[in-house]
Amino acid sequence: MGSPVVKKTEKINAAERMLNLLALLSARSQPITLKQIRAELLNQYSEDNEAARAQFERDKSDLRKLGIPIDMLTLGGAQAGETAYRVNRNNYELTDMGFTDEELRALQVAAATVRLGAQEGEQALWKLGAERVNPKLGPRASIGFSDPHLGTILDAISKRAAVTFIYKGETRSVDAYGMLARKGFWYVVGFDHLRKAQRVFRVDRIESGVSVGKAKSYTMPKNLDIVKAVPTDRQMMAAGDYEHPTAQVRIDASLVHIVTSDFGAGAIVRSEPDGAAIFEIPCSNGYAFRLWLFAMVDKAEVVAPDDVRELAMRWLDELAAGV
Amino acid sequence: MAKKRVTKTAKKTVKKTVKKTVKKTVKQPAKKRAATQDSKRRGPRSASERVAGLLVLLPWLMKRKRVRLAEVAKQFRMSEADLVADLQMAAVCGVPPYTPDALIDVFIDDGWVVAEIPTFFSRPLRLTSAEMYAIVAMVRAAQKLPGAPSRSVLTQAVVKLARLAPDATDAPLHIDLPDAPYLEELRTAENDLAELRIEYFNPARSEVAQRTIRVMRIFSDHGHWYVMADDDKSGTIRNFRVDRIQSLVRTGKIYNQADVASRINDDDDRGWFGDNLELVTLRVRDDAAWIAEAYPTVSRTHNRDGSTDVSLRITSEHWLARLLLRGGRNVAVLTPEKYVSLAARTAKAVRSKYD
Repeated sequence: MGSPVVKKTEKINAAERMLNLLALLSARSQPITLKQIRAELLNQYSEDNEAARAQFERDKSDLRKLGIPIDMLTLGGAQAGETAYRVNRNNYELTDMGFTDEELRALQVAAATVRLGAQEGEQALWKLGAERVNPKLGPRASIGFSDPHLGTILDAISKRAAVTFIYKGETRSVDAYGMLARKGFWYVVGFDHLRKAQRVFRVDRIESGVSVGKAKSYTMPKNLDIVKAVPTDRQMMAAGDYEHPTAQVRIDASLVHIVTSDFGAGAIVRSEPDGAAIFEIPCSNGYAFRLWLFAMVDKAEVVAPDDVRELAMRWLDELAAGV
Repeated sequence: MAKKRVTKTAKKTVKKTVKKTVKKTVKQPAKKRAATQDSKRRGPRSASERVAGLLVLLPWLMKRKRVRLAEVAKQFRMSEADLVADLQMAAVCGVPPYTPDALIDVFIDDGWVVAEIPTFFSRPLRLTSAEMYAIVAMVRAAQKLPGAPSRSVLTQAVVKLARLAPDATDAPLHIDLPDAPYLEELRTAENDLAELRIEYFNPARSEVAQRTIRVMRIFSDHGHWYVMADDDKSGTIRNFRVDRIQSLVRTGKIYNQADVASRINDDDDRGWFGDNLELVTLRVRDDAAWIAEAYPTVSRTHNRDGSTDVSLRITSEHWLARLLLRGGRNVAVLTPEKYVSLAARTAKAVRSKYD
């Protein structure tokens, strides 16, 4: 015994050295110094002290970024002043969650039916011992979870720490209350200190990094419904200051079905013999109304009031003239 | 003692079998090689990336003990060559004196990855907060899917996750999936392999037409439900927006699942929409900027004047005309030339209805 099977004399790559360092620090019951580490990991660190220190610091930093805490202790006695390092496996390893096979299968199906567009979902699945599967049947949804701000804001919410970011050119400091995924976008609802009111922000429109303030700096409002706090397209059409709150719009027969499912049968003012129908549609927000109206191209025509009809004609005239 | 012998024997075979496998991988026909390389990005991987991958991979392997190399590569979206390189490296890592029982016990044996004896790295890393939130988001969305099985089992799983991070599992994170008529009928038709006849409003032609479809997949994306189906009218696989289905009945015919299953690839990273459509480039600004956000784009270039040039694929001229009408004066077609005046032409046509 004693003579190593694998002599680490050849040039060793950084990944191999990192794994060996982690194995060593995890296996030793006592903290060890860099000098001892270099002696143990023979020839794996540079012979030059400065270069070896730089390599070690890089490895240590990379391991920490992977979620592995490396404890540092200043020694006394004969080694007074020297720093020793230790890794406690209990501080970075996942404890056995006790998932049943059925629960793991359910998580696998959940992962397969919900597309996150981010690797975190799969990583989590693998760590839990599950795997990526492809269910052949059933509806699936794409909710997109790749925006790096999501984790930061969710973390801040859990700590009740205000978040600060630039939005539409202004610095906003927000006590975030919750997040909503809707129509492919994520929204954060919270108290905006700049406007001194509750506001909704679309996460992909944040123009800067998100900085997180002190924990426990606010309390959650009671009975806040995050889903209702984020206005729907239909609510947006009613949220504006245009003098006419609604307009009557003639919808071609081919689209009556879709408009009815969006606005309800109660929005129908009258039906026409050819199957078309006149709907009462909110238009306080002219911009949102225009987006809705022109989505139907020539299958929708404003019939009243005259002001809104003329506005629609003006929009079309401007575009037709290439203004 | 017997255990040790197994380990030693296994170790002896490490380099030989790994080398063999590498050779095999290199010799693969180009087509097969491309398939196994999956969607993994190109370029050398950093040391940190390789270690991070191994710290997830090794416990996963040790839990299973023996898994086919090709399956592991596919599961972890790695090329077989990268996987073999990582396992080869891991197999010589451990603690001094690097004797067989002081090394990570993993080796490749005739196309199988074997990790039977947990020496090091047998437990996975803890979940990061981003991973925890991702899994919570996934579970919450899955629980809202029509006909989602195992809702209570998923809830139990989240309760167990909460032991790790109660803040994350309690996170005020909500998923609002759209409603659509006929979702349940489509789901059961997919389940029963029942052919359907639908009346469908086609915005590309602005008309309602009857079609006979065989459901291949139902999915929600950007606030709408779609059904990917084999369409008798076009003879191709098409995505139909579920809220544009105006009526739906079963034809009484049952189709063979293998016929449709063989036509879709479930295990790819591409979007759920095709890429064989016409490409247009638009310049959008101000209140038409939503165009760059609302649709899948091929490229986006931000200009100094605050505008953005967006390339996206369109399904028809009518679809583009509709988009231009909605965008108004703040969107212009850059290419192709034939669509430069489309907005003005469309506006004129719609305006004529008001005369």
